[in-house]
Amino acid sequence: MADMSGDREYVRLVSSDGFEYSILRSAAAVSGTLRGMLSQSSNFVEAKQNRVVLPNISGVLLEKVCEYLYYNLKHQNNPGNIPEFDVPPEMALELLVASDFLDGKHC
Amino acid sequence: MMSSGKSRVKMRPPRNRDSGDVNFDESWAVLSTAMQEMYRKNASRLSYEELYRTAYTLVLKKHAEKLYNSFKMFVAQHLRDVVATELAPLASNTTNSLLTSTIGGGGVTSTIAVPLAAADKREGGIRFLKAVKAQWDDHCLCMRMISDILMYMDRVYCKELQLPLIYDAGLALFRDHVIRNNEFQVGEHIYAIILDQIQLERDGDIVDSSAIKATVLMLESLTEDKIDGETVYSRSFEPKFLRSSVDFYTSEAEKLSRECDSSQYLIKTEKRLQEEYERAMSYVSVTSEPKITKIVEENLITKNIVSVIKSDVSGMTFMIANDRLEDLKRLYRLCKRVDPEITDLRGALNARVIQQGAEINQDALEVLKHPDKSKGVTAQNAATAAAFKWVEEVLGLKDKYDRILNDTMDGDNQIQTSLTNAFSSFINQMNRCSEFLSLFIDDNLKKGLKGKTEDEAEAVLDRAITLFRYIADKDMFETYYKTHLAKRLLGGRSISDDVERMMITKLKMEVGFSFTTKLEGMFKDMKVSNDIMQEYKAHVQNTDPERTIDMSVSVLTSTNWPVSLSTIESHTCVYPAGIERIKRSFEKFYVDRHSGRVLTWNPNMGNADIRVAFRKRKHELNVSTYAMVILMLFNDLADGGSLTYEEIKAATSIPDNELIRNLQSLAVVPKTRILIKQPMSKDINTTDRFSFNVDFESQYIRIKIPTVAYINKTETETERKGTMDKVDELRRYQTDAAIVRIMKARKTLEHNILVAEVTGQLSSHFHPDAALIKKRIDAMLEREYIERSAENRQMYHYLVGRD
Repeated sequence: MADMSGDREYVRLVSSDGFEYSILRSAAAVSGTLRGMLSQSSNFVEAKQNRVVLPNISGVLLEKVCEYLYYNLKHQNNPGNIPEFDVPPEMALELLVASDFLDGKHC
Repeated sequence: MMSSGKSRVKMRPPRNRDSGDVNFDESWAVLSTAMQEMYRKNASRLSYEELYRTAYTLVLKKHAEKLYNSFKMFVAQHLRDVVATELAPLASNTTNSLLTSTIGGGGVTSTIAVPLAAADKREGGIRFLKAVKAQWDDHCLCMRMISDILMYMDRVYCKELQLPLIYDAGLALFRDHVIRNNEFQVGEHIYAIILDQIQLERDGDIVDSSAIKATVLMLESLTEDKIDGETVYSRSFEPKFLRSSVDFYTSEAEKLSRECDSSQYLIKTEKRLQEEYERAMSYVSVTSEPKITKIVEENLITKNIVSVIKSDVSGMTFMIANDRLEDLKRLYRLCKRVDPEITDLRGALNARVIQQGAEINQDALEVLKHPDKSKGVTAQNAATAAAFKWVEEVLGLKDKYDRILNDTMDGDNQIQTSLTNAFSSFINQMNRCSEFLSLFIDDNLKKGLKGKTEDEAEAVLDRAITLFRYIADKDMFETYYKTHLAKRLLGGRSISDDVERMMITKLKMEVGFSFTTKLEGMFKDMKVSNDIMQEYKAHVQNTDPERTIDMSVSVLTSTNWPVSLSTIESHTCVYPAGIERIKRSFEKFYVDRHSGRVLTWNPNMGNADIRVAFRKRKHELNVSTYAMVILMLFNDLADGGSLTYEEIKAATSIPDNELIRNLQSLAVVPKTRILIKQPMSKDINTTDRFSFNVDFESQYIRIKIPTVAYINKTETETERKGTMDKVDELRRYQTDAAIVRIMKARKTLEHNILVAEVTGQLSSHFHPDAALIKKRIDAMLEREYIERSAENRQMYHYLVGRD
């Protein structure tokens, strides 16, 4: 095994056009799919490398997704008054599809 | 999520990356290969994302149903292959059952079982279980991975159509194609192996419990499809387990009852219970624990416990007699497990106590009938001896059972009640119990407690009170106690006033003060008498200082003292002149003080000191009043003179029975022959002649001459009947009073309720029988205290307007 067995704090998401985004593992875990992929108990390649390739999501979109993951992580404990998450309308539908793909329960 | 659209922007649908329809078979190939790799433990080479996306795309393109079914078929096939290749070969090494298998494809192999040695059997079985478990673990792991990959389908397709999720479907497939595999009977093997192992362990071997536990957990994880709450474990395995356990324990019960004595039987039973409990907790399944425990309890305890208890040689009676406390503890524990009311044990205890009690009663009666002369027991003090024996033995029995109750049965209340009932029953069967108890206390208060500290004395009295509580006819006891107390007080024979009062206080605490008012009255009388005597002495000093005869009087209130002391007819006596004079002096003195009172003299209770001059020297004799009167007659006789019985009787008017008694003590008893009787014989006849024995000698100056049979003896038959009659009369009055009291309060009552209430009210005095109550009710009806209701013959009304 090349990797250490301990959880690495940061994981990497790679978009279809090759952009790599480093985010906290805990942020990635907001998405059920990502969580499963990166879980240390699975034997897949992603978990071993802590790196997920997403060939059906563009860089711009993926960036927005990461933003959302952080937004969600930050406000998890306080569902009361939180600032709005800004979504540019032209991205809205694609974002929706992506979130469906990624099993984002909190959308 | 959406921000409010301030500027209207044209929305574009997402770019559809996928070109038209997707090829199901291609995608499926990707997925199925991946699943193969997973089963081969090569998952690390796979990309989750790719597989996830593949499945995702298929679902989007509406191939979900096909995907689902393909998945199921794939897994089913895989599992069947696994069974055939991995598990079937091992199965042949496990049990003695015939296993035919056809391995798919080419060769047909059938295996014929050969009976195997136990060790081989055991090892083979365990190996098989481990193999199944390994397959199960692998399968679960793969199912998790596949479920992750196919998560999209789970979310979207399965949820919507309410189909089982991938993971659950996977488990069900394992259940159907491995455990319930028709060809290879894997499940049946598993069950058989586990049962074998359990049997081995029951026979004393050690088994690999972790392997079994793992298998059980697996069985428990496999739920049944259509039956809620049931698993393969509960539906297929557990019933077999319970059935085989029933068989085992039925034969075990027979074996144990044949081979073991009661103590061993109980020990082994407990061991089995413990064993099964541990087995259930550790590897069989916690859910089965109550069921298996019940089986063991039913077969080993419930069926056989009665014979275990009743066994002559080693049963409960033996245990009690030989103080087998551990055995009794165990017996109690086991009985209580199956029957919280412990009816069998209680019944047996009750019977045994009553049996032993009857023996004690019998023994005491024997002593009465045949006093053991060799031990110096005469007919008279046979009674006291019997009383003591009885009381001591009963208290001893109580101690023993108290100890058993507390040490072995946890002070259990139901047992306590049973014992109390048993004791009550045999104590009250002994119809002389009240008398005996009173004798016991009497003797202690006269002699037995002498020299004991207050605490020791109190301890003895407490034991007497314990016995008192059981006696139902407490008013009988009261009668006897009063009589004995009277004799003690008047004869000055009680060792300590304080101890007497202690006893009264204790009695008061038990039954309330109505019981003890009379007794306390007796004490008061004694004190008042003392005071009066002081005054009288002063009075005599003043009025008659020359008087030579000193007299002391105890004045008793007749209602307080036992009836037998105050009947007039039997106490006639003609006193010598000197005595008569001072007698009248006192009467005058007293009546002056308390006018309206009538004094009656009781000569059978007093005593006198006489100085008598014999030839050799003078002696001072202490004799009863009657004896004194008799002796005074001889004062006036010439020397050598004599009197016949008839003459004595005429001169003194002493009743026959008293006269005989006193003459016996004066003339017959060897050491104290103050008079000479002609003819010399034991009995007094009316033709006997008595003369003064001037040659009487004794080394003591002062001699006490006790009256023959002056100690408390048990009553003769007639006396006893007399006592009973009086007690009955008292009881009639008490019953009447109770009836009226109750009816006055309740106004209207039904017959049965009235009877119950009356019984309750009288319970602290005596136990009334129904006939008595009925008779008294009739009497009350006649005397118009109550009437029958017109509508209901069983109802009574209280009649008002009575004065």
